[in-house]
Amino acid sequence: MKLALATWNGRISPVFDVARQLLMLDVEDGRVIARREETLPGTEQQAQADRLAALGPQTLICGAISQPMAAMLASTKIRVIPFTAGDVERVLGAWLLGTLPNPALSMPGCCGRRRCHGGRGGRKTQ
Amino acid sequence: MNKDLTSKRRLQTGAESILESISDGVFTVDAEWRITSFNRAAEAITGIRRRDAIGKTCSDVFRASMCEGDCALRHTVKTGKPIINKSAFIVNVEGRRIPISVSTAILRDERGQISGGAETFRDLSLVEELRKELEGRFQVGDLVSRSAAMRRIFDVLPQISASDATVLILGETGTGKELLARAIHNLSQRKNKPFIAVNCGALPDTLLESELFGYMKGAFTGAAKDKPGRFALADGGTVFLDEIGDISPALQVRLLRVLQEKTYEPLGGTSLLHANVRVVAATHRDLSAQIRKGAFREDLFYRLNVVKVELPPLRKRKEDIPLLIEHFVARFNRRQGKAVAGVAQDVMSLLMAHDYPGNVRELENIIERAFVLCGAGRIDRVHLPPELTGQQATAPAPTGDTIAAQTHAAEAQAIRAALESCGFNRLSAARELGLHKSTLFRKIKALGIELPDQDGRSHRKAT
Repeated sequence: MKLALATWNGRISPVFDVARQLLMLDVEDGRVIARREETLPGTEQQAQADRLAALGPQTLICGAISQPMAAMLASTKIRVIPFTAGDVERVLGAWLLGTLPNPALSMPGCCGRRRCHGGRGGRKTQ
Repeated sequence: MNKDLTSKRRLQTGAESILESISDGVFTVDAEWRITSFNRAAEAITGIRRRDAIGKTCSDVFRASMCEGDCALRHTVKTGKPIINKSAFIVNVEGRRIPISVSTAILRDERGQISGGAETFRDLSLVEELRKELEGRFQVGDLVSRSAAMRRIFDVLPQISASDATVLILGETGTGKELLARAIHNLSQRKNKPFIAVNCGALPDTLLESELFGYMKGAFTGAAKDKPGRFALADGGTVFLDEIGDISPALQVRLLRVLQEKTYEPLGGTSLLHANVRVVAATHRDLSAQIRKGAFREDLFYRLNVVKVELPPLRKRKEDIPLLIEHFVARFNRRQGKAVAGVAQDVMSLLMAHDYPGNVRELENIIERAFVLCGAGRIDRVHLPPELTGQQATAPAPTGDTIAAQTHAAEAQAIRAALESCGFNRLSAARELGLHKSTLFRKIKALGIELPDQDGRSHRKAT
């Protein structure tokens, strides 16, 4: 499966609506088999959603995301784990272990549970 | 020593009380960009409790659009210069976008060394709501106007959109025919379905036919597979046929059939397809004249002309020019990340005096060109194209060389503008011009100004 993380300076990008960098990963049997950097427009919501959909990830891990932006992604059927914070590798490690979302890697004020902002996070059983 | 400490603590307590009492959000960060203080207003605006914020990386708490690419505080720490009222938005704990303005300052320790920074932010939600409400009165979709003629169009647009009738938009090039068609689509029940625009004047006839109706595999050499036409692509939505006056008589017949029977046949097809689309057509041509010349079918004209909307050229609604300039400046600032404040007064005069044969599109291009040359401050004469600054005011008035002729022409122009803006109510126009109504009537007669049958006193019932 394909996993995308919105990144900035080695951390999860604070606001997905304007994020410009994406780490795309191919994951098989709980292991990362390929990774590459991609760019996002970071300007308008529609362009952001279109670009992400074109890259084709099944799951997106990102920081804060506005409601309109989240609604736009909902129509693309990409699973979003929003309001995630912290070092990219730590977040990735937690996701691979199936322990995301969790309070230690959530933005302040977020409960670290899935229902927090309408995002339906968590790793799907493969 | 003890006395010093006590007075320092008292000062600190005083500063904290002030910070707690103000309505602007304030937070401070240390050299590692971690939050060291977070006032009550900051809690209220972001929705994050102080105890959750303290010690966390500021971008994870603040979540502003500027954090990643253009952090105001980082800029201040780097340059030593404070930033005042920079616009951005934050995403609060509920996922709401909150417009804010940000100001920054550097924090120094007792030795004068930079120990961190302070950021103050103001919630602009209310200001933004009021601004939008105000703009909404002058804006529908991407069409911006406060002129009486456009106001009348804006007023009927919801009813036009709610119906499924074919619409014919007339207007010179650059008046915003496609924008109006999009606004009609976006206000209609078809808004979640496609809006497909076709410029009928841009394609040769045979190509246009296959573009509109599609073709089946083997219909002609090179037709290797079926291709759906624009009518099929727009299924459930709106097809916008621009420059409808340019299509050939043969295609007019096919289009008439689509409008009458709601069916069409793709090239090489054997069965009829149903067209579930709303048609909005537009032209800059005088279709009545085309009919008289035999170049346009009368029956098609009446099929298209169910609802007719005429977009006035920009020279007939010059009161819109300042509003449009403001709209374009804001749009290009947003798109290009610039901080152009507007246009200088003499530039405004030049732009008001221009005739705009290219209408709103021409004005937009003038502003876009100015943005290439001007990064901040006001747009000046030097940023305008030479053909605009080189020529004298080209108001359509001067007809004749004498001062008297020019005065009459200018008077006629002012009277026409006042009459139009007052919906042809003579009394209101006279008041607007500062004339007695008898003087206005005399001038209208003397200058040969034609008036419509309606006199603007529509509230009076006919007896």
